[in-house]
Amino acid sequence: MPQIAVLLTAIGSLIAEMMGKPRGSLWTLIIGMLAATGVAISKIGTITTAFSNTFRVDYLSLWAVIILSITNIFIAVLARSELKNTYREGTVYSLLVFSLLGALIMTGAGDIMFVVLGILISTLAGTALIAYNKTDPATEGAFKYYIYGSVTGAVMLFGLTFWVGIIGSTYLSALNNPELSSLAVIFGFITLLIGIGYAGSLVPFHFWTPDAFEASPVSIAAYLSVVPKVGAIFALAQVARELPVEMLNWPLLLGVIAVLSMTFGNVVALWQDNIVRLLAYSTIAQAGYFLLGVVAIQQNQLAVNALVVFGIAYAVMNVGAFAIVQSCGTQLKDFNGWAKQKPWQAVGMTIFLLSLVGVPPLAGFAGKFLLFGAALDGGYTWLAVAAIINSVISLAVYLRIIVPTYFNEPKPEPIQSTKPGIRLVWISTFVLTIAVGLGLQWFLV
Amino acid sequence: MESITLPLLSITTFLPLLGTLVILLVKPDKPRTTYRIGIGASTLAVVTSLGIWLRGVGSSFNQIEQLEWIPSLGIAYRMGIDGISFPLVLLTTVLFLTALIYSAKIEKRANSYVMLFLLLETACLGVFMALDLFLFYVFFEVTLVGMYFIIAEWGHENSKQAALTFFLYTLLGSLFLLLAFLSLYLHSDPLTFDMRALIANPPLTGLAAALTFWGLFVAFAIKTPLVPVHTWLPAAHTEAPAAGSAILAGVLLKLGAYGFIRFSLQMTPDAFQQFAPYVIVISVITALYGALVALAQTDIKRMVAYTSVNHMGYMVFGVAAAAALGKGAETSALDGATLQMISHGVVTGLLFLLVGALQDRTQTREMTEISGLLKTYPVLSGLFIVAAFASLGLPGLAHFPAEFQIFLGGFSAYPVATGFIILGLLITTGLYLRAIQSVFMGNPEKEIDSKGDLDARELWATVPLIAAIFIIGIYPDLLLSIIHATTELIGF
Repeated sequence: MPQIAVLLTAIGSLIAEMMGKPRGSLWTLIIGMLAATGVAISKIGTITTAFSNTFRVDYLSLWAVIILSITNIFIAVLARSELKNTYREGTVYSLLVFSLLGALIMTGAGDIMFVVLGILISTLAGTALIAYNKTDPATEGAFKYYIYGSVTGAVMLFGLTFWVGIIGSTYLSALNNPELSSLAVIFGFITLLIGIGYAGSLVPFHFWTPDAFEASPVSIAAYLSVVPKVGAIFALAQVARELPVEMLNWPLLLGVIAVLSMTFGNVVALWQDNIVRLLAYSTIAQAGYFLLGVVAIQQNQLAVNALVVFGIAYAVMNVGAFAIVQSCGTQLKDFNGWAKQKPWQAVGMTIFLLSLVGVPPLAGFAGKFLLFGAALDGGYTWLAVAAIINSVISLAVYLRIIVPTYFNEPKPEPIQSTKPGIRLVWISTFVLTIAVGLGLQWFLV
Repeated sequence: MESITLPLLSITTFLPLLGTLVILLVKPDKPRTTYRIGIGASTLAVVTSLGIWLRGVGSSFNQIEQLEWIPSLGIAYRMGIDGISFPLVLLTTVLFLTALIYSAKIEKRANSYVMLFLLLETACLGVFMALDLFLFYVFFEVTLVGMYFIIAEWGHENSKQAALTFFLYTLLGSLFLLLAFLSLYLHSDPLTFDMRALIANPPLTGLAAALTFWGLFVAFAIKTPLVPVHTWLPAAHTEAPAAGSAILAGVLLKLGAYGFIRFSLQMTPDAFQQFAPYVIVISVITALYGALVALAQTDIKRMVAYTSVNHMGYMVFGVAAAAALGKGAETSALDGATLQMISHGVVTGLLFLLVGALQDRTQTREMTEISGLLKTYPVLSGLFIVAAFASLGLPGLAHFPAEFQIFLGGFSAYPVATGFIILGLLITTGLYLRAIQSVFMGNPEKEIDSKGDLDARELWATVPLIAAIFIIGIYPDLLLSIIHATTELIGF
């Protein structure tokens, strides 16, 4: 079980921090994550359950281990460059792994309680990470994240008791029973959606996102944009697999949320001057695209493929973009003339942003291509049309970064050399962004 | 029985990209060296494309090159040519070579400029030779990115705005294309992105066919462009650097035109036949509107840009007439439309290069401010006048055989619409004659002679195109025989 490796890593890096060795904590994280990835890769293809059917080991949950563990390594390296020698640096690594554990528990949930548990673990660890800077905005951001989390969590828990009440067990698979009272199923699903919508920052449960992102260290913002979100969307897919459509037209509901998220995220991002906030809104939009795969999950195999490939693509291009932001600066004006100072980083940022738009042959395109295919095949043409119109708006958003990078005059300040950690991360994600697009075959079932 | 042959198609496609890599590795510090590499790579591409011709183009898809790519989804790297795509390949390699020769004076960030141009060339060649929807789409989108940066960085005063409009507009179009492709794929049996299979056995019927047809239509109408989605074109053409405009008009517009034939006509033939009247109406409006608006321009580059709209109207008219007539009818409409793509590429490409040369000398594009150029720059003016005559459809020059066949084919399908669209010829004749009169005739108002007449570089870029105009005009059969073999086979 790769998840056990993750748990041991979390404890190990905590111990290293308690001994005052943040470096050891970082290395524990890297080795542990690589171990978890290795275990997951060796198991790919197996479909089974664990812990008396409450946890699913399947394509989604194994890929989640691979995607998120590797993402966590990147984020830890970024955090090291950003937070080196700050007070209690090692706790960051430990918290990153704990939060990852929460996300992984969600992605393999075969049981209602695992969804709840996963969201809670991931939220608690996330709150501490957001507050790491110990400034007023950081406290505010963390509070927003925490309070939204506790309220939505409470609502979700309350609603889910109805599910447990009518099905008499906590297994998700027990939901697939046409004799259940549809009202109770609807109520339970909506509350569940509130909890998951919070973790995945879907509209209208996204309000914490921009503030929390802005207040956190940039590396933590990168983490927030990927790990809890991929966890939440995969968890939603695990639930949606079992929900009978006859009882509740949940694909329609999710489709509407998807359109709202995409449109809101992209349109509001058009006005942001802070790149971290801009990317925060862009992640809200990206979560909307992600939902296309969940909507079609019962209809075709393409949807599962789409979720995994878009998950990989989203993780690499988003982490890459945040890495460049960490190197360049968080304001739009910091990017003025960046291409003249660091031409390769400018090319990298362009590739990440175009991949977020979905320009082939990059990773983001491969993901969106499968998502659109899944939506069309499931008969949701309107959803696919809404998604492509949003892709055009998102191009306008990302060009707001690309244009000053190339066409404005650089600031007169001397150029600082890029920290090796940042360089490692952006180059790796850059290569992956291109490789995943071209080597799509390796990631399909 | 398979023998190992040189993959000439892939070599032609990726030679320019190889040039990009060479520039990236060598990092020449003199623009001269950069242009040598760029021109060298694109000359080789012309040579290999001639090699493809020598091997024999044939009527159906041939010289196929195929490699596994994403077998789970029925996607493969498939390349091939037929009589419709090969002339476009030739046009692309020749135009890129002349555009690069013409550009050699640009010293501003020459490395990036040449690299983008070569990348764009690879993408355009890939579009015309791809036999797989996925591969086609990849190349199709890469052209957008390349062109965006060329317009924005090396263009004129309002180039950033124009580039942005171009990018957003055409991205919207290409995303509709993506949906249409996915729809074709999802209805194919067995599931495949192989264009040959989709053409041999068009998978769609009924509502799905109609939706897919209109999805394709929106995509290609924006790219071609047709009225009312043409509004990105004048700005992009006017603001781009001269060589960029030549490529944009000469090659990139053909992506849309080629799409109409390859996808709309060949993959959704029944839907196209059903909706042909609408397309006819739109194309007549496009041709007349383009001509009338061109008449109203005082900026000479904008005027040429709008005549492109007019010519693309004829082109789409030809394709729609072919669709309306259905299989087994006379092929002259489609022959003409295909030839029109080539002749428009050559003529308009040349016109944009000459307008660029003119602007370098007069520092303005306003026709009211220039006069008597024939006396100041006789060679430049002479070439421009020949190109203008070709553009208005003078017999013996490139456009005439193409337009003649389009109208011939159109007349048997829609005589009334043909009557209307021919009015466009009258208007373009008028506007070119007026432009020639005001710009080239008369006496020069003031002495502008900081530069002499066309220099060697400009002559190398323009004379081959002039020669091509005469060759196509006098001996169109050189290309028509290739085109006709294919149109006859596919029956339109």
